[in-house]
Amino acid sequence: MWLFITRVAAMAGKETLHIRRDPLTLWLGLALPLFLLILFGFGISFDLDHIPLAVVDQDNTTESRELRQLFTAGSEFIFAGALDNPDDALDAFGKSQAHAVLTIPEGYAAALSRGEDVQVGLILDAADANSAQQALARADAFAQLASAQAAQRRGLDLTGSMPVSARTWTRYNPAGRSALFLVPGVTAYVMALVSVLLTALAVSKEWEQGSMEQLFATPVRRSEIVVGKLLPYLGMGIIQVLLVLVAGTWIFGLPTNGNGLVVALGSLLFMVGMLGQGLLISIVARNQMVASLTAVMTAMLPSMLLSGFMFPVENMPFPLRMLSNMVPARYYIQVLRGTLLKDNGFAELAIPLVLLAAFATLMMVVSTVLFKRTLA
Amino acid sequence: MSAATASGPFRWLVQLWAVVVKEVRQTVQDKRIMALIVIAPFLQLVLLGFAIDLDVDQVPTIVVDMDRSRESRRAVAALMADGSLAAVGTAGSPSAADAALDRGAAAVVLIVPEGYARDLARGEATQVQVLLDGTDPTRSGIAGGAAVRYFGELGFSIAKQRLAAAAPDVHISTIDVRSRLAFNPSLSTPVYMVPGIAGMLLLIITTIVTAMGLSREREVGTLEQIRVTPLPTAVLMLGKVLPFVAVGLFDVTLALTAGVYIFDVPIRGSMLDFYIITSLFLLTTVGVGLFLAAVSKTQQQAFVGAFLFILPAILLSGTMTPIHAMPEWMQPMTLINPLRFYLEAIRAILLKGASLSDVPVQTVALLVYGLLIMGFASLLFRKRLD
Repeated sequence: MWLFITRVAAMAGKETLHIRRDPLTLWLGLALPLFLLILFGFGISFDLDHIPLAVVDQDNTTESRELRQLFTAGSEFIFAGALDNPDDALDAFGKSQAHAVLTIPEGYAAALSRGEDVQVGLILDAADANSAQQALARADAFAQLASAQAAQRRGLDLTGSMPVSARTWTRYNPAGRSALFLVPGVTAYVMALVSVLLTALAVSKEWEQGSMEQLFATPVRRSEIVVGKLLPYLGMGIIQVLLVLVAGTWIFGLPTNGNGLVVALGSLLFMVGMLGQGLLISIVARNQMVASLTAVMTAMLPSMLLSGFMFPVENMPFPLRMLSNMVPARYYIQVLRGTLLKDNGFAELAIPLVLLAAFATLMMVVSTVLFKRTLA
Repeated sequence: MSAATASGPFRWLVQLWAVVVKEVRQTVQDKRIMALIVIAPFLQLVLLGFAIDLDVDQVPTIVVDMDRSRESRRAVAALMADGSLAAVGTAGSPSAADAALDRGAAAVVLIVPEGYARDLARGEATQVQVLLDGTDPTRSGIAGGAAVRYFGELGFSIAKQRLAAAAPDVHISTIDVRSRLAFNPSLSTPVYMVPGIAGMLLLIITTIVTAMGLSREREVGTLEQIRVTPLPTAVLMLGKVLPFVAVGLFDVTLALTAGVYIFDVPIRGSMLDFYIITSLFLLTTVGVGLFLAAVSKTQQQAFVGAFLFILPAILLSGTMTPIHAMPEWMQPMTLINPLRFYLEAIRAILLKGASLSDVPVQTVALLVYGLLIMGFASLLFRKRLD
């Protein structure tokens, strides 16, 4: 046992030296997570915001101008200029000057004063379907508000005595901030990325340069090589998690009332799984280019796109939902969101934790077995 | 035919051909690399095209109907019929529904208060409560919006009826939005996302393969061996870069084919424009690869460098979410991003039928970035070789 520890420690020391001598790896491991956190936290926003709206005002009355102001007063639409003709809409879309065009017909104010129904036109650049859909829903809400205001102007107060209405209460993330939703995802993503990539590269480099054979010639056992090589990266991973979570709290106000023990356990299990996956890739690839591309394809993209990080899993077609069940980042994100945002404990998160443990075990066992078989 | 024996003005062409053939053979030899640069992007595109769907509908909802009247049941059914929400169960009390929200079994709890029908009949105001799981703000926003809109419309129409009953000669206008959806009337997400994913994959593959392919030759020392041959540096570099450009063009063709046949991505503009703009973009990605190969000593460094370029480029490109939704201080950062301009251009060409003259800024930006980075990288690489 004592020998095992010394040999593992020697391997880990050797690997730490490699890392320390390569400042780029260190940078990648420590600065990249923060950099990504800031980029994602600020840069990715699914909120409907600042959609450039051009207006064709064929009525040109106080009422029509009020409607325009109603649309552009909030943060959803910003006024992008007036157009003379609705037919110019496509041209404005093509040049990206506007993404939506509101047409207020001639006679708008007159119809309102007579109490007649009136239709305003909204032409949307629907190429970006998500924005278009949200814009549509907002426009409907604005029109509803405008109807009530028109009635009020004629002395008929409808808003004050609405017979039915719905009131919403938002839990866990009351301000509805994208950042709170994304930070746990970024944590999982960064760790998946950096752990898999770094181990895949570090280990495949030894194969490529032939130093792995030299290691085999030493009395260090294969399992000790595995543990020793992975330990420094595990340490780096722990620093990363702490860094990202602390920065997330500090910059984005991520709540920290969750169960720390669950976070720690989930993070550890997830990291071991990711390191195991990196090791497995390097054993199969034994070539840095193949290893890095495989890591990108199997860790970077799925962890971003099939994990529920940005795109909800429930919406995916059945085969992809099945596939996403095999992406460990999905469970880790569940653990982080559950603890940090919803104050969940072991009881609610038992299933994702068990699945993370299963993945970690599978990766370590398969890669150690494959590793032992090589050159045997 | 050996490069050294050829002569005349075609000599460099022959030499170039020789380098290209060597490079292609070397790449084709490793079947795994071929698989990774040809098959993997195709699979990824198909997979991700299906995965990236921001459409929020059928949000799981628990209904707490404390009124149990005909009116309350009708209102709940009408709200569910809209499709944004889907009832997954009922609960007897708000606290039981609350626990379901904690477990993640539902994301919305709709509470119809006791006396809902009675209050309506009496002409008193009644309020429905909607409890939302705000973890995913997009989802909760859409779910909450659907409920508020439905009951708002219901309230407005009931108010109108009451008014009409009280004062038959007074009319109230309803302002309606009649919408027209340009370019993508079925509001399909893949139509917009697939070109984005294609650009992203193109960037990843060509930058990494170029950077690592070249730094590998330096690492194992074969680049020095080639230097001993009578090949001019320019020919050598061109020959090494061309196959990567070809890989990019091949990948983008494959991606486009998949996009058109699987996801119904339209091709409204000209294919020539599409390939011209793609070639300009490849000038940048391959140029960055060349630059990274020139400055790094090992493949690992080249890869890390490629990575540090690729990730921000993807995030600041508007691939996933629109640039105008970013904070204002961040938006100018996207102006140095070639992927941003490439995506704007191909989305305009494919979806809106634009020609290159409709996207002059994007075209010029890609050309300038491409020439700058390629020129700089070639100089640097040449210096490293000599």
